[in-house]
Amino acid sequence: MNIVVDLNRCQAYAQCAFLAPEVFELHGEEALLYVPAVPEDQQERVHRAAVACPVQAILVGGAAGADVR
Amino acid sequence: MAADTLFRRITDYASRPDPYPLYAELRESKVAPQDDGSYLVGTYHEITALLHDPRISSDRRHRSDPEEARLAAELAPSFIGLDDPEHDRLRRTTMRPFGPPHTPGRVDAMHGEIVRIADELVAGLRGRQRVDIVDDFAYPLPVTVICRLLGVPREDEPKFRGWSDAIVGGLDLNPDQDPTERTQAATEARRAMGVYLGGLAEGRRGKPSDDLLSAFVNDQDPAGGLNRIELMVTSVLLLVAGHETTVNLITNGMLTLLRRPDQLELLRREPALMPRAVEELLRFEPPVQMLPQRTPLVDVEVAGVTVPKGAPLILVLASGSRDPRRFRDPDRFDPRRTDNQHLGFGSGVHSCFGAPLARLEAQIALTALLRTLDGLRLVDDPPPYRRSPVLRGPRHLLVEHDGAGV
Repeated sequence: MNIVVDLNRCQAYAQCAFLAPEVFELHGEEALLYVPAVPEDQQERVHRAAVACPVQAILVGGAAGADVR
Repeated sequence: MAADTLFRRITDYASRPDPYPLYAELRESKVAPQDDGSYLVGTYHEITALLHDPRISSDRRHRSDPEEARLAAELAPSFIGLDDPEHDRLRRTTMRPFGPPHTPGRVDAMHGEIVRIADELVAGLRGRQRVDIVDDFAYPLPVTVICRLLGVPREDEPKFRGWSDAIVGGLDLNPDQDPTERTQAATEARRAMGVYLGGLAEGRRGKPSDDLLSAFVNDQDPAGGLNRIELMVTSVLLLVAGHETTVNLITNGMLTLLRRPDQLELLRREPALMPRAVEELLRFEPPVQMLPQRTPLVDVEVAGVTVPKGAPLILVLASGSRDPRRFRDPDRFDPRRTDNQHLGFGSGVHSCFGAPLARLEAQIALTALLRTLDGLRLVDDPPPYRRSPVLRGPRHLLVEHDGAGV
């Protein structure tokens, strides 16, 4: 599973960094770092994180941009 | 009926089971000046703009009504009632032991424990044909979680429940009632709870334990940390918010699903849909219906109406999240909805501090209930509601069930 975060859309609400801390990380207070190729054991957490993003900036998919479901 | 009595009608207890037709009426005028001097806003785009507008204060000491400003000034506000830069400083300091960037793993690490608490509570429901979702499950779950997180002894619950009731009572916006007495009772309760929580924190100074109260007194914070008063009002905010809102998210969620057996079945079959279903609940039946604390610092024009400096500005989030200009088919509960930037946790700098924890608790709670209880039926519809029009949810939710699943 691959992900892409639209960093122009990201507003650092940090929901992803709470819900999947091994994949999403806040660098300082505002900048987001993430792991684009999601390890198997983190996929459920990443799904939770993508759904929780208040600005819907996280695209999840085999090919990122495909339906998140 | 006249739009200038909408607030009175929304806060009327008789409207509690279904305020949504009143919100539809509110959206027709976008901004509705009320006969008591307040202004209601119920459309998505206007609410969102105001939540991001630095001219709109969260500090009630800016109200032009002298009595209201006096009452607000009696006790230092917590960060929910402050503006930047003070709000930002306190929120960041409070965030240090709770979330990223300093403590990114805290909420994720609570996952297993929340599952255990939920499983214990549902185990207690087995063998009983009739249960109260509120008293037997949706209330004890978040209380237990917030107690562990803050480091408050669970057995002190009867003590802080009374204070919490009084604090929430202070939010009961009934325009026909004199608010002074109610506000004073709420202030007294905040003070008493603050002294209690401050005492617990002091007892941990030099003896660190893995909880927020301990972190507030023991951790080094280059920004200076919380002083004694800040520690008390912040801890009160976290304890009250942590257990007066999630209970309604869980209960409103069960009520919504029990009214829609097809959706309930869908979520039993496909538990992976639960995170999305919880977002839809936050849009469709949000535990926080409105933000009653906002005040313009200058005259502000909203959708052609001038809201004067110092006037109560009430943002009806639950109405914005049902705005047909923003959401397709907004009155339909759709757990598969993808375009869902709801206002359930607000937006902007004051967006809900505990949102990730509330999300996780609701997902785990509803999953555990659906997995365990078979053939669920509502006993009363609508159920009896709690008083508050702001923190809205059933007081009890009686259900009967055929038995336990796996």
